[in-house]
Amino acid sequence: MSERIGEIIEVYTTRFLAQADGLDNPPHFGSFVKTESQGMAIYGLVYNVHETSIDPSRRAVAFGIERTELFKRQPQIAEFLKIEFEAAIIGFNDAGYTRAYLPPFPPRIHSFVYPCEKQEVLDLTEDLEFIRSINALPGLPIEELAAASIRLACAEREGDRAFLVRAGQEIAQLLKDEYEKARSIIRRISDGE
Amino acid sequence: MASKVQEIGKLISGSLLSGLEAKLNEDINVEGISVGRLVIVDGKENKFFCLLKDVSLEATNEDILLNPPSDDFARQVHAGVNTFYKLSVQPMLITAQNPTDLDRPRPSTTVPPHFSPVCEASAEDVSLIFGSPAVTNPEIGSPIFMDVPVCLNLERFCKRSNAIFGKSGSGKSVLTRMVLGYLIKSDMAINLVFDMHNEYGWSATNEGGIDDPSLKQLLGSKVAIFTVDSNSPLYRKIRADYDVQIPYGAIEIADLELAAGELGLTQAGIETMYRLSDKWGEDRWLARFLDMDIDDFPQVVEDLKVNEQALNKLRRCLDRLKKLPFIRKEVADDTVNRIMDFIQDGKHIVFQFGRYNSMLAYILVANILTRRLHKLYVDKTDSARAEGVDGPKPLVVTIEEAHKFLDPQVARQTTFGTIAREMRKYNMVLLLIDQRPSGIDDEVLSQVGTRIIGDLGDERDINAVLTGLPSQGTLKVLINNLEPRQFLLTGFALPMPVVIDAKDYGKFCSEISLGSGIILDEIERRKTVDGLKARVFGDDEIIFD
Repeated sequence: MSERIGEIIEVYTTRFLAQADGLDNPPHFGSFVKTESQGMAIYGLVYNVHETSIDPSRRAVAFGIERTELFKRQPQIAEFLKIEFEAAIIGFNDAGYTRAYLPPFPPRIHSFVYPCEKQEVLDLTEDLEFIRSINALPGLPIEELAAASIRLACAEREGDRAFLVRAGQEIAQLLKDEYEKARSIIRRISDGE
Repeated sequence: MASKVQEIGKLISGSLLSGLEAKLNEDINVEGISVGRLVIVDGKENKFFCLLKDVSLEATNEDILLNPPSDDFARQVHAGVNTFYKLSVQPMLITAQNPTDLDRPRPSTTVPPHFSPVCEASAEDVSLIFGSPAVTNPEIGSPIFMDVPVCLNLERFCKRSNAIFGKSGSGKSVLTRMVLGYLIKSDMAINLVFDMHNEYGWSATNEGGIDDPSLKQLLGSKVAIFTVDSNSPLYRKIRADYDVQIPYGAIEIADLELAAGELGLTQAGIETMYRLSDKWGEDRWLARFLDMDIDDFPQVVEDLKVNEQALNKLRRCLDRLKKLPFIRKEVADDTVNRIMDFIQDGKHIVFQFGRYNSMLAYILVANILTRRLHKLYVDKTDSARAEGVDGPKPLVVTIEEAHKFLDPQVARQTTFGTIAREMRKYNMVLLLIDQRPSGIDDEVLSQVGTRIIGDLGDERDINAVLTGLPSQGTLKVLINNLEPRQFLLTGFALPMPVVIDAKDYGKFCSEISLGSGIILDEIERRKTVDGLKARVFGDDEIIFD
C-alpha cells in the first residue's frame, strides 16, 4: 500500500475530515483517497484542504518573511501548524468489488488515509456515478470538484478522449436542467483539448 | 442473403394515426439518414415495417439553443443528452417476428411498445414484403440506399388501371419501358402502347444522347410495331409490322371534340358537325363535307339551316385532317380487326406515329382505336360470359399525355374515362403515362390502382397524384425529395409504399432479352414485311442494322 497521507479526525456518513501527515505533501483538490475501516476500503474525493494553527484559540500571525526562510530561521513555527483535508465519501470496496455509492457505515476516527492506486481510480471512475454522489452533497464547490476529479481520472487513463466525452455527457445528463453549470464544467474539463 | 441490421434509434412516442417518433442513437450520423428509407421497428411479438418520413433537430433545454456549445468537444458531449435527433416514421405493415410461410405482412393496426429498437430494413425484410424476383414478380429497382430487389406484383398490377407520373427527365420513360418489358415477358396481359414519342418501339434515345434498345429490339417477334407513317425513313430501316390507315367513316364527332383544342373547333363548329351528321349520316358526313367545293356552301347553308360563317370556319378546321395521310376515304384493311388478330396471337402492339407525332394525330388515333377496341372487348367479354367461356385476353392500353384524354371536362365521355372507371370488368385496363397529372379528372385518379410517381415539380401535380391515397402527408414529403430515377411506388400491386432507385436499364436489357435467336427472327420478319411491300410498292433497298 502506498504511503499514508493522513489520519481521520472527524466522520459523517457522507464525508470525513482528516489531518495530513506533516506540511509537505497535502492531497490535491479533487484527488481520490481511501481509508481502511472494518475490513472495507472506503473511497473519498478531496474537496477541501486547509492549513491552520493547531491551537484553535491562537491564530497564525504574519512575519513578513518567505515561508521557507521563516521555517529555516524558526523551525518551531512548523510545529504549531497543521493541514486538514475534507473528503466526500464516493464509494467503497467490499470483497474485491468496487461500488460507487455510500458504504453502510463511515470510516472510523483515527483510521489512516492513503492515496488511491491507479487501478482503484480507474474502477471508481468507470461509470462516473461518483459525480452524481458529489452533486447531491450540499456546500461542495461542485463545478470545480467535478472538473478536477475528471481531469485526474482522465490523466490516469493517459488522456483518453473517449473517457472525457463520456464524463462530459454524464455531466450534461446530470445537470440537464442547469445548463450553465454543466457548460462551465464541460469547459473546464475540455481545457487544453 | 444475410445482412447485418443496424439499430438506428429507439421509439419514444407517436400514434398509429400521426406516425411514430424515435430518438436517433448518438453513434449514428444524422446526415446518413434520409427520408424515404425503409425501417423496421422491432416490437415484442411483431415487426413493424415503416417508412421514414422526417428527421428533426430537438433540444431538451431551451438554454442550449440560446448559448450553443462553442467547440467540437462540447457539441459531442451535449449530443444525445441536451440535443438529439428525432425520426418520424409511418407504420405501414406488420408481421410476426418469426413469420411462417402463411403469415403475409398485413396493414398495421397497432403500435410497438415504448423504446422498441428502430432498425434499418434488412434484405430479408424487403424480400418478405415485396417477394423474390420472378417472371410475374419482376425486380424494378431497389429501396433507396439498399441493394435489395423491390418487385412489382404483375398479377395485381394488371387487375387495375395504373399510372406512371413524373416530369420530363425524371426517368419516367425508361421505367415505363421496363414495366412494359416485364409485362410482355410475363404474358400476364397483352399490351397496346400508344407511343407518341417513339420510345417504346425499336430504340429510344436516352438522356446521354445514346440509343438504348427498346421493346421491339429486346423482345423481337413478341412485339409488333404499328405505324401511321410507314414511309418514314425510320420504318424503311426497321420495317413496321402494320401500316395503319383510318377511314373518315371511323371518325366520330366525339373524337373530333376531344381534339377540339388541336383543331381549333368552336362550340358553333361542334353543333354544325352534329347537324351535318344528322342530315348526311354518321359515317359519311365527314368525307362528303371535306370533299365539297366551297362554292357549294350557300346551298348547304340553305338546306341544313346552319350558319355560313360557322360552316366556313369548320371547314378550315377540319381541313387539317387532310394533312394526315393515314386518314383516308377508303382503306384496304380494318386496323381494329388487325389489332384483334395480333392480340389473339398473343402479340403486343406498339403504336407509333413517325413524323406525324402531333397531338392531333395522336389524340385521334388513340381515341378512335381504343373506342372501337373497347366496344369489341365489351361484346366479346359479354358473350364469353353468356357462354361461360374465357373472355378475351386481358389488355393493357398504355397512353402517354394521359391528361389529354382524361381532362375533367371530357373524362366522363371518353372511352379512356370509361375504361379507367369500370376497372377490369371487361379485361381492359389503362396504363397512364403523364407529366401533368393535375390535368386528369379526380374520379379517374382515385380509381388508379398502382401509382409509380417520379419527380414532379408542381405542387398541384403532387396533390393530384395523391388523390384517394392514405397517409398523404407522408407520401408528399417523399415525392418532394425524389431525385431523377427515383420513384415512389404505391398502390394495389405493392404491399406498402416504397421509394426506389429504378433498376439499371442495362441490367433490365440483359435480363429481358430473348437472346441471339431474336436476330434471326428479326431478319425473317423483315424479309416477310419486305416481301409484302415489294409486291405492293416494288423493290426497295433492304438495310439490316
